[in-house]
Amino acid sequence: MKFRCERDTLVDALTTASRAVTSRGATTTSLNGIRVEVAGNRLSVVGTDLDLTVRVEGEAIGLDDGVLVAPARLAADIVRALEPGAVTVEGGEDEVEISAARSRFVVRTYPVEDFPVLPEPRDDQVSLPSAVLAEALRQVVRAASGDDARPLLTGVLVAAEGEGTRFVATDSYRLALRDVAGTGPLPAGTEQILVPARALTELQRLLPGGGKDDTAKEVGFSVGELDATFSVDGVRLTTRLLDGRFPDYRQLIPPGYPNQLRVAKEGLIDALRRVRLLVRDNTTPVRLTMRSGTVELTVVSQEVGHASEDVDAQYEGEELTVAFNPTYLLDGVEAVLGDEVLLETLDATKPATVRSPEHDDYRYLLMPVRVS
Amino acid sequence: MTSAPASVHACSVLHVDMDAFFAAVEVRDDPSLAGKPVIVGGSGTRGVVASCTYEARAFGIRSAMSSVEARRRCPEALFVSGRYWRYAEVSAELHEVLRGFTPVVEPIGLDEAFLDVRGAIRLLGEPVVIARSLRAEVRRRLSLDCSVGAARNKLLAKLASEAAKPVATARGPRPGPGVVVVAPEDELSFLHPLPVRALWGVGPSTAARLTGIGVVTVGDLAAVPPDTLCRLLGNAQGRHLAGLAVADDARPVVAEREAKSIGHEETFARDLHDHESLHPILVRMADAVGERLREAGLRARTVTVKIRFADRATITRSHSLAAPTASLRVLRAVAGELLASVDVGPGIRLLGVAGSALTGGSDSRQLTFDEVGEPGSPDAPARDPGEAAEGRGQGAPRPASEASWQEVEAALAAVRARYGQSAVGAASLVGPGGLAVKRRGDTQWGPSAEGVAPGPADARTPGRGEPTGPDG
Repeated sequence: MKFRCERDTLVDALTTASRAVTSRGATTTSLNGIRVEVAGNRLSVVGTDLDLTVRVEGEAIGLDDGVLVAPARLAADIVRALEPGAVTVEGGEDEVEISAARSRFVVRTYPVEDFPVLPEPRDDQVSLPSAVLAEALRQVVRAASGDDARPLLTGVLVAAEGEGTRFVATDSYRLALRDVAGTGPLPAGTEQILVPARALTELQRLLPGGGKDDTAKEVGFSVGELDATFSVDGVRLTTRLLDGRFPDYRQLIPPGYPNQLRVAKEGLIDALRRVRLLVRDNTTPVRLTMRSGTVELTVVSQEVGHASEDVDAQYEGEELTVAFNPTYLLDGVEAVLGDEVLLETLDATKPATVRSPEHDDYRYLLMPVRVS
Repeated sequence: MTSAPASVHACSVLHVDMDAFFAAVEVRDDPSLAGKPVIVGGSGTRGVVASCTYEARAFGIRSAMSSVEARRRCPEALFVSGRYWRYAEVSAELHEVLRGFTPVVEPIGLDEAFLDVRGAIRLLGEPVVIARSLRAEVRRRLSLDCSVGAARNKLLAKLASEAAKPVATARGPRPGPGVVVVAPEDELSFLHPLPVRALWGVGPSTAARLTGIGVVTVGDLAAVPPDTLCRLLGNAQGRHLAGLAVADDARPVVAEREAKSIGHEETFARDLHDHESLHPILVRMADAVGERLREAGLRARTVTVKIRFADRATITRSHSLAAPTASLRVLRAVAGELLASVDVGPGIRLLGVAGSALTGGSDSRQLTFDEVGEPGSPDAPARDPGEAAEGRGQGAPRPASEASWQEVEAALAAVRARYGQSAVGAASLVGPGGLAVKRRGDTQWGPSAEGVAPGPADARTPGRGEPTGPDG
């Protein structure tokens, strides 16, 4: 096989696809590899760790059809380091030559037949507006657990809910829930799927505001028995779905709250960031003392010192102090849309809710930190 | 006070080293062992010698030798399985004695310590006087012997305590001087005749290289230009050894630092291949870690499980919690999950549990949704088996709240403190032999010869203070 293309195109394809290539010691060497195929003038680059597969399609000047599997990180590093301009890639028996200008690299390749056979994407795609999806993911994925010891919590629940679709994630300390209007992306007969947050984090990079300039308006989405595929702008991301029952989150949501604090979002964020400067480990909480007209934020850090700040607020309820992990609280407040946020509390040990006072399509439940 | 020569005052670094510590403790606790070749260590095929009496040393037996080799050299040797917790108790007494002389005590393991007595000279006298009274005090309080070296720095003090040791002979141990002081003017004449192996950082391979250029004694080493050493051994080690060869060692005595992690591990008599037999052992070790955290007033944020496979490949699996814990329940659950993620089919030879990222102080604790549904909450969740199968977390069966578990664990700790470790424990640890309890260092040096599958059945570890009979 042999093809030529612009360095930047190739860097982009290799970098995007290799994000799926596992970094933690793959079981087979070919999983450390990235599959590059050229057919006519179509270039396709695939990286996978079997859970997550990223396939990038692009244009190239095809000189000779064929396929090879190269070490992913090395290939990306080499191409990135080349001078701008045209890059020629030519695959041999068990090596690949990458050349540009006066540079020439010859790198050993992996046997193509060892690369896993990946399912062909399905064609029963639905289209989602990418801006809506991006917003929902931004609000929800942050609450998913990064802890592989609790596999189900590393997923984001996508479930049919009334007339719309609901996204839910929790790491057992906080829970984010977003309802999106519209019949939703789930195929008929499927009530819910559990999508690994890692895949959605990768998807976010491909969506508006995710770091790529040319943003697609639509995201293609299809769900199979075991996996789901998102298509954006020539990139197809396929992820294995998590198998199991997501915890019953509904019973966590209190039916009502006696205490309601309404506060300007930016002011609260700024104040939280300031007092958080004194937090030295993530066991130090921020205490919110809520009383009529104000909320006082206090951080007491044993070895360092203490800080406090008053923020104007409307408060209905009895005077109350609740402590939270400041980072978790900020995560929730930042995810709320609009200029104001509503913090609803029961008492110092029950789940609180952060949401917008106007809309209730997004809710962020947060467990307090108990201080004694 | 009459002023002694400044040179004597300069010997303010003391190295205290107990003589055949573990073995001496065993002999002291069981006088019937006195005068016999006693070996403390694992008697099984994988065991090693942790310590042995001078009577055993006369047969050429040394610490870290394999037990098989030791038995070959002296078939009549009496093997005693180690009672690490007992040595730890005695060690604590030792350090208390040492701190009576100066607060600047740097413990090295259980049976050695460096002391900086500069601040004690005015009060207690010259270092040599302090060294002698220290040795007498250890004898009086612990009924054990130690050797003390006094010198200007750690290197010399340690070599001096070595020179103060008793010597094993075929006719029985010959007492050593007990205290050796290396005055500054005698340093080189003391140091240079010693073999290079006596220096820290000179192991077999370095020694072999040095022999290759004709260096056998420290004196030979001092005669080699530092540049040559650097070429031979690399810059860092070359410079380091060149310094040591001329008695140059600037490391200060540093008082005991705080523990960075608390852990237990255990080597099995035979490899274990299934989670059913490993799990109770893991629970026992997790509990022991939790107890020690509680005793120390600490909590751990990171839980690590260490696994050594039959082929000696060793892996660790760690998990960091959102909030540090000393909860036995949490430690068990996390360690259990970590172990469950490992394929134990190839056979497990060693298992360990440790807590690290330790914190004390503040008692704040991140609550979790698992705790929603405390009494008073209208909708305490009914857990279904499907969720329970997920294990820790959302699905874990949870009849009581985290807060009440903490009270339960505090109460259990109080019971154990009063009635002993075996008084109360997890039901899964009870077997025909009673309650299996993990003690620190139980099988440090390999399991006993007849040790069957560890678990409840091997809960024949003697109680505190009881002498262990020879089992070899």
